Amino acid sequence: MNDCVTATARPDGQTKWHLIDPRMIDLILYKTYADLRAEAAKTYINYLWWVIDPILSMLVFYLVFGLIFQRGGEGFVPFLLVGLVIWNWYKQTLSHAGNSILAGKGLMNQVHVPKLVFPTVTLLTDLTKFGFVFVLLLIFLWLSGDGIGRAYLALPLVLAVQLLFSVALAFLLAAVVPYLPDLKFLVENLLQLQFFASGVFFSTDDISERYQFWFYLNPMASLIHDYRNILLHNEWPAWGRLSFIALLSLALLTLVVKLIQRHDRDYPRVVR
Amino acid sequence: MTATEIIPLLSLDRVGLAFGQGRLGFGRATPFWVLKDVSFDLRHGETLGVIGRNAAGKSTLLRLLAGIITHDRGVLTNHGYTAVLLSLQTGFVPHLTGRQNAILSGLLLGLRRREIESRMEHIIEFSELGGFIDQPLTTYSSGMRARLGFSVAYQLDPDILLIDETLGVGDEEFKVKSANAMRERIRSDKTIVLVSHNAGTIRELCDRAIWIEEGVTRLVGSVEDVAAAYHAELNRRKVDHVSGVRA
Repeated sequence: MNDCVTATARPDGQTKWHLIDPRMIDLILYKTYADLRAEAAKTYINYLWWVIDPILSMLVFYLVFGLIFQRGGEGFVPFLLVGLVIWNWYKQTLSHAGNSILAGKGLMNQVHVPKLVFPTVTLLTDLTKFGFVFVLLLIFLWLSGDGIGRAYLALPLVLAVQLLFSVALAFLLAAVVPYLPDLKFLVENLLQLQFFASGVFFSTDDISERYQFWFYLNPMASLIHDYRNILLHNEWPAWGRLSFIALLSLALLTLVVKLIQRHDRDYPRVVR
Repeated sequence: MTATEIIPLLSLDRVGLAFGQGRLGFGRATPFWVLKDVSFDLRHGETLGVIGRNAAGKSTLLRLLAGIITHDRGVLTNHGYTAVLLSLQTGFVPHLTGRQNAILSGLLLGLRRREIESRMEHIIEFSELGGFIDQPLTTYSSGMRARLGFSVAYQLDPDILLIDETLGVGDEEFKVKSANAMRERIRSDKTIVLVSHNAGTIRELCDRAIWIEEGVTRLVGSVEDVAAAYHAELNRRKVDHVSGVRA
């Protein structure tokens, strides 16, 4: 590829630089809106599904772990719900964004679309849906007696770090899956494994002290623990782990964005 | 002559482009060179016809010029001009209304949102959709979709417009109307690359032409010369084929 050159220079010698192309922002926002509208329009009760669907899936977990296995006892339901809501957001983001560039093959062969648009759009649709569910979760917690403590101040930060972490992984998947479609199946199973290792339905206290270090190497385990501390116990998150996750995600995200941009005009040829 | 008229908008020098590359790791497919050796200049304000048989690499060439894909060898110089492939019904989503689809499609084709909204009246008028513009696309006939698709794409005004074969679309009446609108646009002093396997279309509309055969530019020049050479080749092949069958 070394002898391949593309020169770009305006006749007036000026190159226009934007940090982000404003047309790209227009496109991302409208496509997100359109995708959400289109998804809702396919069903009878439209937007209600964004809330009913997660409630139903949480009900299943409550039935299995709360009633059948008789786990937890006092306070188990809020404990489980926090874990599930947070985990579901992470899982949806990863599985949707991971497939997004591959799924955009029709479009990207008709017009030039910066490939970052695809995972960003699925990211935003999932974020919107999570927003509804998260508000519902907070209302539930307040109604069941968990008040708003000082630690709520740290909530936006933990949400931001999780977003950053999911974005980095989601973009990485989106970048690689077009080249290795087989990865999709592996990722589904790895996510399943990570789910069981993230303490969604068990507490860190159930793990012996020796293994806790290894347990928290999983960023989702650490994040879910942080959320529970803030929402249920009015305690601050683990700052050290939180900053570590943030820095690592930022580094990964920078690399992946560069990778996607470098292959921008290669994807349409690969995903045909 | 001003500088912009002398410097070509685009120049291609021995450009080659292969498919089947770029896979990671094992199972690397042998590259298939769709474009092998393509060289030409695109000048300001001209309509350049690209002629060639099926699978000669014409559509790949347009996608390369539109910046959808990139080449593997040779030099492609674009002096900072926007080139857009005229693609109809791009990104249409069945469950959204005509208006929403027009905005989405326009954004994908590279327009700003306010640009599309300010041209919405033109889009509705040209597509003759009237009140249907706020109905979901699922209620449209294929002819209505075609009308909307064309009317949106027609709002585009890039430096270089790339057109692949189709001029008119939709039902009979709209086909004539849209084809006439395209002809008018082509005859104006816009810079256009028009791909066709029909020498008649190229003769009618183009200022200059190139002939591509199996990914190689065989001839660049006046429409008459190129069309004549192309026809001679077609006839030669026909004769070869016929004698081959007889033998």
